[in-house]
Order: sequence, then structure tokens, then C-alpha cells
Amino acid sequence: MTFRRPAALLAVLAALTVACGPKEKVIKIAIAVPLTGDMGTEGQGVRRAVEMAVEEVNAAKRFPYKIVAAPFDDRADPKEAVNVANLIISDPRIVAVVGHYNSGCAIPAAKVYSRAPVAMISPAATNPEVTAQQLSPDWSGPKVVFRVVPTDDVQGSYAALFAYKKLGKRRMALLHDKTPYGQGLAEQFKKTFLEAGGKIVSADGVAVGDKDFKALLTKIKGDQSKPEGIYFGGLYTEAGLLLKQMRELGMKDPFVFISGDGSKTSGIFDVAGDAADGAYLSIVGIPVEELPSAKTFMENYKKRWTGSGEDLKPFDHFGYEAAEVIFAAMERAGGPDRVKIIAELAKTKYSGVLGETMFDDKGDTLNKIVTMTRAQAKDHSFPSVK
Amino acid sequence: MLIQQIVNGLTLGAIYSLIALGYTLVYGILTMINFAHSEVLMLGAFMALGLAALAPAIFGNGVIGLLGMFALSMAGAGIINVIVERFAYRPLRHISRLAPLISAIGVSIVLQNGVFLWVSTQSLPFPEPVAIGQVPVFGATISTLQLVILAAALALMGLLHFFVEYTKMGKAMRACSDDIQTAGLMGINPDFIIALTFFVGGALGGAAGVLYGMNYGSIKYNLGFLPGAKAFTAAVLGGIGNIRGAVLGGFILGFLEVLASGYIPNGAQWRDVIAFTVLIIVLLVRPSGLLGEKIAEKV
Repeated sequence: MTFRRPAALLAVLAALTVACGPKEKVIKIAIAVPLTGDMGTEGQGVRRAVEMAVEEVNAAKRFPYKIVAAPFDDRADPKEAVNVANLIISDPRIVAVVGHYNSGCAIPAAKVYSRAPVAMISPAATNPEVTAQQLSPDWSGPKVVFRVVPTDDVQGSYAALFAYKKLGKRRMALLHDKTPYGQGLAEQFKKTFLEAGGKIVSADGVAVGDKDFKALLTKIKGDQSKPEGIYFGGLYTEAGLLLKQMRELGMKDPFVFISGDGSKTSGIFDVAGDAADGAYLSIVGIPVEELPSAKTFMENYKKRWTGSGEDLKPFDHFGYEAAEVIFAAMERAGGPDRVKIIAELAKTKYSGVLGETMFDDKGDTLNKIVTMTRAQAKDHSFPSVK
Repeated sequence: MLIQQIVNGLTLGAIYSLIALGYTLVYGILTMINFAHSEVLMLGAFMALGLAALAPAIFGNGVIGLLGMFALSMAGAGIINVIVERFAYRPLRHISRLAPLISAIGVSIVLQNGVFLWVSTQSLPFPEPVAIGQVPVFGATISTLQLVILAAALALMGLLHFFVEYTKMGKAMRACSDDIQTAGLMGINPDFIIALTFFVGGALGGAAGVLYGMNYGSIKYNLGFLPGAKAFTAAVLGGIGNIRGAVLGGFILGFLEVLASGYIPNGAQWRDVIAFTVLIIVLLVRPSGLLGEKIAEKV
């Protein structure tokens, strides 16, 4: 009887050793998005989507090593994005980056990644400069930037033609939030709207974080040339405040408010409430709800994240696709090698949630569909406008 | 359009004035800048939201519920300000003039991050107090919300004026503001008057927070910073320590911002630059602010 207890102990010890095993090889995918602050909700969505992709890949044992998702918070702040990028390139186990969310962050961070070099695939940054900067003569490193979202030149132009042809608007007032994203959208809108024969009545910039736009809106309302709507390049907080204050000043249908994908998130209803109703918001791609190829993704996402109390955010499927594109490139590269992965990414021909993804020589996706949606306050949804 | 812009300026100015009063009252007595005031304002807004969420049947609608929500949030913000004074400023009051100032910055960071970590990191929708309608006035459309804000702010300023000028406690406050040591010798309890001042200033800040939430329809943990900084400027512009100066400064700043973004081409981008340039010019000409005679006396 006396030796029984040590024997049991030994058995436990042995079991423990087996469970630990020889240390498993770990390869990391960085997720560099805002996890806190104004854009935190959207960034968290991307994080959840990428983590889900990583879990699926591990479960399917597609690689002889374990993949780990490593989230980094850039707080939608360009300075912080550069810090985060430096942290990322200093970790040799990180082989690729899904990020950044904001164009203002992606542009400076890309330079850091090029130095390493490590590939970066943005799920959401839409300013053309994010990839175009790689063609500039000042760009010393290799090309490392890719993105699975179409750019602002597609989105801004689409919105301009939509306003001119579908809505029959001829005079529009332009607003933007002075960020690369917002200004980029507004400039593209302006260019196409003028080419179509429309008139831009006024153009103003607002500061991110500003709350009071009443004076500016009053000016637009009283403008001599009678604008028929506002195009806003910016994000949902300012868009929501603009909408709310517009409605308070009596600027209602048929006076339209058009903006881009940065405003198309349920957060706009938190800020503007019912005033968001009727706002036209363009998005890149097809709404995920209407995308047949995303059906399984949506179901899995709901199943995986029901406990989190959060639902699908606008760029989650892009984040998921970015991760999938990286995994496919890793498989072709034959190992977790940063440089080989970059080379393989450039040759991507992947068909997944978003349909067919291929990159042009800048690293932009060739899958350039834009859809116009219209905010509906009663159920906080964004049905697409046919 | 001009009428509408005037109403815009008045609404904005009224909110700035209410906040500026909190800075100026405290400065008047302690010659200390309460940097935590912007957080008291934010907490006022969050308390109102909490009340509306806890008991929507009572505070969700109706004039009585609205007044109740207002009064409770004001009292709550006032009490927080008193607690802050008791534990963060009073022990440091006699050490140096810099110590309470640094302590105030610390309190501001603690309160802001407390809300950030425990309440929400995101914008929260603020309930609409009244159904927002439009009142046409001489061709301009003025929202009922703006009228409610303006009326509430003016009523509070009136109350403060009455309190400071015509009540015994107000008299004691003025006495302490003139000379706190002599006031103490005359039988006034300075600690009580200081706490009272913090309560009144905090309550006004809390009210401003609720109005701010109503005006913009959503609130966030950092909402206090920008209006706090601007109201502080307004207080300096009017002459810090002077109650009428704070009100005047608040309205001037509100109007400057509205005029800049409404009448100068591309002025929305430049409105802060314009408003603060005017401030610098005013201070160059009148270093103690527009109505700030009292500081000169003290020095």
C-alpha cells in the first residue's frame, strides 16, 4: 500500500510531461487595428474575424506549427501605428500583418514594414496613397503592402455618379475631416461630380473630435446657390453629429447626406439616433449579408462570437479574407519566411469570402465593387440601394 | 441665416459660460485652477444617462422627470466636486500653490480613465429630453432643443446671481473671495465656504454636462476635455475670478466660433485658430481679462 501514492504521483507527473511535450513551434500573425477609442468597435470586429480564421487553420492542422494571432492596438493614431509597427517587426515569430484599419495609420506604418520587410494586408484602409506610395522614388524598401478593399477613387467616384445620375443632384456641398481617408474620398467625389457636369457649391474641412457643426451647416443651408445635399468624407462620429444637427436645422429629404464606408457602422445610430435615417453610405464590395460566398463565414462568426455580445462589424469579412490570403501564401511559400510570403502574396489568386482576390502591381485588389446602402433607423440596418 | 447663427452662438456660448463659472468660482476663492472641472462636467452627463437608464419611467420623459434628472445630476456632480476638494486639494492647500494644481491634473486623469475602464470606451447615445421640433422665427428654423438649453442655462445663471448677491451664504462666499483670512476672523468657516463653492461650481458643471449631452445626443468618457479647455479660456478672457466675466467670456467665445465657421470661407477649419487669436489679442491689451479688475487688486 505504501508505494501506491508515489506511483499515482508519478503517473500524474508523467501525464503532465506528455501534455507539455517538446515546446511547440509558434508562428504569429499580427493584427494591427484600433482596439480602443472611437474606432475600437470596428477594430475589435476585425480582431475577432482574424482570430476565428486562425482558430480554423489550427483546427484543420494546415501547418506543421501553431498559428497565433497577436493583436496590437494602434488607437487609430498614426504615431501609435508607427510604434506598433516597430514592435511588430522586432518579433521574428511574426510573419505577416493584418492591418492597419485607418489610412492615416497604414501610410506611415507601411514604411516601417518595408524596412523589415514584412507583408501588410490592410482590411480597411482605402486611401490610394497606402499602396501608391510604394511606387514613389523615395520608397527604398521592397513592396510589402497589399489590400483586400477597393480604394477611395473607386468609392468617391461611385458616390458622385450615384448622386448625379440616380438621385439627380446637380449642386452638392463638400465636407471632409482632413484625414487622408476623408479628404481622399471628398477629392475623388469632387473630381467625378464635376466631370459629370455637377457643381460643388462649397468645400469645408472639419476637425476630428469637433462636436458643433451647426454654424457650418447653417452656412450651407443659407448658401446662395442652394446645394441639394452634402457629401462627407469621414468617419461615423462626425457623420452622426452632422446628420443630427442637419435634421435639427430642418435639412431633410430631399436634401441628401452621402458618405463613405467609414460611416457605415451601427455606431452611427448611437451618435445620431433616428436622424441617421435615410443617409446614403457607400461601401466597398457587396454587403456581407448579400454575399453568397460569405454565408458560411457569417454563420461561423455568429456561432463563435455569440458570447461576446457583439455582432458582425463592417470590415470583419475583409479581415478574415486578409488572414486567409496570408495563409494561402504561407502554404505556397513552404514555410514561415517573411520574404517568401511577400513574393507569394503578389502572385495571389484566391477565391474566398469576397469572391476572387488578385492584386495589381501596387498591391491593390482587382475586385473593385462598390455598393450604395441607405441607413434605416428602425432596425439599425443598411439595405443596399438598387 | 443671421438669426439662426445668433441662436447657434447663444447655445454654444451658454454651455461655455456655465462651465466657465465653475472655473471662475473656485479661482475666485482659492486662486487655484480646478483642472478636474472638465471631468465633473463629464460625470454630470454620465449620471444623467445612468438615471435615464435606471428609471426610464421616471426620468425618460416629461418635464418633471427631466427636472428631476437635471437636479440629481447637478447634485451628484456637486458632491463629487466637494469630495475631490476634501481629499485631493484641502490637504495640499497650505503646502504650495503648485501642489493642488498638479493634484487636480491627477484627479482629472483618474476620473477620466475610471469612466473609460468601468463605464464605456465608446460613444453612448444620450436620450432626447423633449421631442425635437423646429420653431420658425423670421425665416430661420430654431430647434426646441436649443431653446431648452438656452432657457436652462440662463435660469441657472440667474439663480447663481441671486445666490451670490442676495443670500447670506453668497455674502460669505464673496467675503472669502475678497480675503479668506479676514473672513475667517469674522466668524465665517472658510472650509465650509470653500466646500460650498466647489459644490456650486460642480453643480453648474454637471448641468452643463447634461446640456452638452442633450445638444450633441451622445456622450463619451473624454467629452469634458474640449469644452473644459474652451470654457477655461472663456473664463480667462472675461477675467478669471469674476462671475460676470465668465458669462461674458463664454458668450464671446461661442459667438467667435460660430462667426468664424459661418462667415469666413473655409472657416470651420480655422475657427479655433481665429477664436484663440482673438483671445491672445484681448489678453495683450487687457492682461487680467475683460472684466478682471479683481486680480489686479489682489496682486
